[in-house]
Amino acid sequence: MLASATSPKQPPPIVELRGVDFCYGTHLALHNIHLSAERNRVTALIGPSGCGKSTLLRCVNRMNERLTGARVSQGQVFVKGKNIHDADVDLTQLRKQVGMVFQKSNPFPKSIYDNVAYGLKIHGITAKDILDDAVERALRSAVLWHELKDRLNQNALRLSGGEQQRLCIARAIATNPDVLLMDEPCSALDPIATLQIEELMQQLAHDYTVIFVTHNMQQAVRVSDYTAFLHLGRLIEFGDTEELFSNPKQKLTESYLRGTFS
Amino acid sequence: MIPTPIHPKLDPANPFVGHQSRNQIRESFVRWILRIGTLIIVSVTAAIILHITVKGAPVALSREWPFVNVTFLTELPSTLHVIQDHQGHIIETDVNGADAIKMQLGANLRQEKTISYSGGGILGPIVGTAMLVIVSVGVALLLGVASAIYLSEYASHGKFIEMVRLAILNLAGVPSVVFGLFGLGAFVLTAPVFTSAPLDRAIFTLPLGFTTLSFQGWDTCVLSGGFTLAFVILPVIITASEQCLQAVPLEFRETSMALGATRWQTIWRAVLPFATPGILTSSILGIARAAGETAPIMFTAALAFKDKLPWQKDLVALPADASWFAHWEQSIQRFLAIFTESVQALPYHIYTLAARIPQNEYSERAQYGSVFVFLILVASLAATSIWMRRRLRAKYKW
Repeated sequence: MLASATSPKQPPPIVELRGVDFCYGTHLALHNIHLSAERNRVTALIGPSGCGKSTLLRCVNRMNERLTGARVSQGQVFVKGKNIHDADVDLTQLRKQVGMVFQKSNPFPKSIYDNVAYGLKIHGITAKDILDDAVERALRSAVLWHELKDRLNQNALRLSGGEQQRLCIARAIATNPDVLLMDEPCSALDPIATLQIEELMQQLAHDYTVIFVTHNMQQAVRVSDYTAFLHLGRLIEFGDTEELFSNPKQKLTESYLRGTFS
Repeated sequence: MIPTPIHPKLDPANPFVGHQSRNQIRESFVRWILRIGTLIIVSVTAAIILHITVKGAPVALSREWPFVNVTFLTELPSTLHVIQDHQGHIIETDVNGADAIKMQLGANLRQEKTISYSGGGILGPIVGTAMLVIVSVGVALLLGVASAIYLSEYASHGKFIEMVRLAILNLAGVPSVVFGLFGLGAFVLTAPVFTSAPLDRAIFTLPLGFTTLSFQGWDTCVLSGGFTLAFVILPVIITASEQCLQAVPLEFRETSMALGATRWQTIWRAVLPFATPGILTSSILGIARAAGETAPIMFTAALAFKDKLPWQKDLVALPADASWFAHWEQSIQRFLAIFTESVQALPYHIYTLAARIPQNEYSERAQYGSVFVFLILVASLAATSIWMRRRLRAKYKW
């Protein structure tokens, strides 16, 4: 079942890719991707290494375009109904609406407070009370407030790996985005920290739309509402997670889920 | 069938032939060659330092409190007068004391020698070198860090950038006397100044109404010398700064951009703060280089002799009832004069003492004293750099 944008009952999708081709120079990394993510849902992107799932994720906030020759060569990406490749789109404002968390937790070697406040300061917020509020709200959302409220001035690098990754999540949501992109957020963490992040991702879906990449199929089952399976730059199957895992429509999906290839 | 005779070296019956095989001899020969080469370098360095310390330390240091020769470090260079009487007493004095002593000695005066530049102290050269270093490092850091940021963060990789990098590397190989001539042409003779009375030699003048922008040069002064030295140390600063910028993890940039920062915001907040310690540390090595160069300042800033410090310029005395504005104007003038005066500099002073005046024990004394002080200054700069790098490396880890 395709989570269709045209279904009358559902709200319009917050992120929508229409026939997107993406290439790095002459290498076509994504081919004709149609995908939409619904508001306040968790969407997982799975697939073997090099299938283009990270590229797809980075299409949504145009992070790929830092590399020369990397571009969307066909199709459109819509976020909140606006084509993000329109000439009048301010990239900084787009990225304020579409936050991102990376694979490796990478807090700046600054204080915890400064890390969370970074995005706000970038966007011109300097008033101390607003910053304080926003930092507290972000840390509460990332379930870090009680652990860290007494040591906000401590260097963020002294936190554990799981705390660092949750801090990065707090940093990404401090600017109050609508969409949160996560690129294999748990791949460098131990099982307990992974569970905490997974729990957090589901909580975050109350306020944000989460799209994440994972190489761990169980994680997709545990966390996501929808799953997209990519293979060699093509979207093979996209649908309700339970449906996709219990009753895959495509042969390729089935053999991937059974572990016949990876 | 004739059995092929086995080569004696491959004789399997005797596997432990002993360590005196030809390979072993060659091995220890090579090891000793390398060891001797290293020893030669170390001993030459040690000999230089020892020689300078033995000859220079007695001049610059003293046995009693405050353990330094205060006169030598706090007075300007002057001409040394050495007066000898018939009993073999030797009196050293400056030009002011000479006459009185000669009067006192009367007929007892055997001979009087004057040795230029060798009396007094070396405060003038120390101050001059410090000012040249301040100006040059200031200019070189501004230009160097700016171009390092451009090369590392903005420029896309291509032929042009490769050419720029090659040019910077070549700049490092330019002989310093060429920089001196460049500075003479560019800064001493053609750099633009604001003046109401342009000189005839100005190659171009631009009337601006209230004043004229005249390309007549800055003359030999701290500014000309400092800018020239800046170009000497630019390659060092650019290369070091670029390496420090590259050492900041790429993820910092990505994270910052993903939060909606512009490129400049990213550089300012997520790259430069973490690169600055390294940039500053390596620029200290630039300071040591700038302090040591002689040729670039010969034509642009340095004087063999000057009896005033840069801020002791003679200005017209203000009348008693001068307004606060006149006072303010004069203090500005005094401040600017610091940079528009020629100065003495340590390396040039040493050159003068060693090669431009007749040699005797007195000039040699002044010479070794200056070299010793100079060596201490440069060595302490280098030591500071190493110490800072150690500390910051421990502090800024990610």
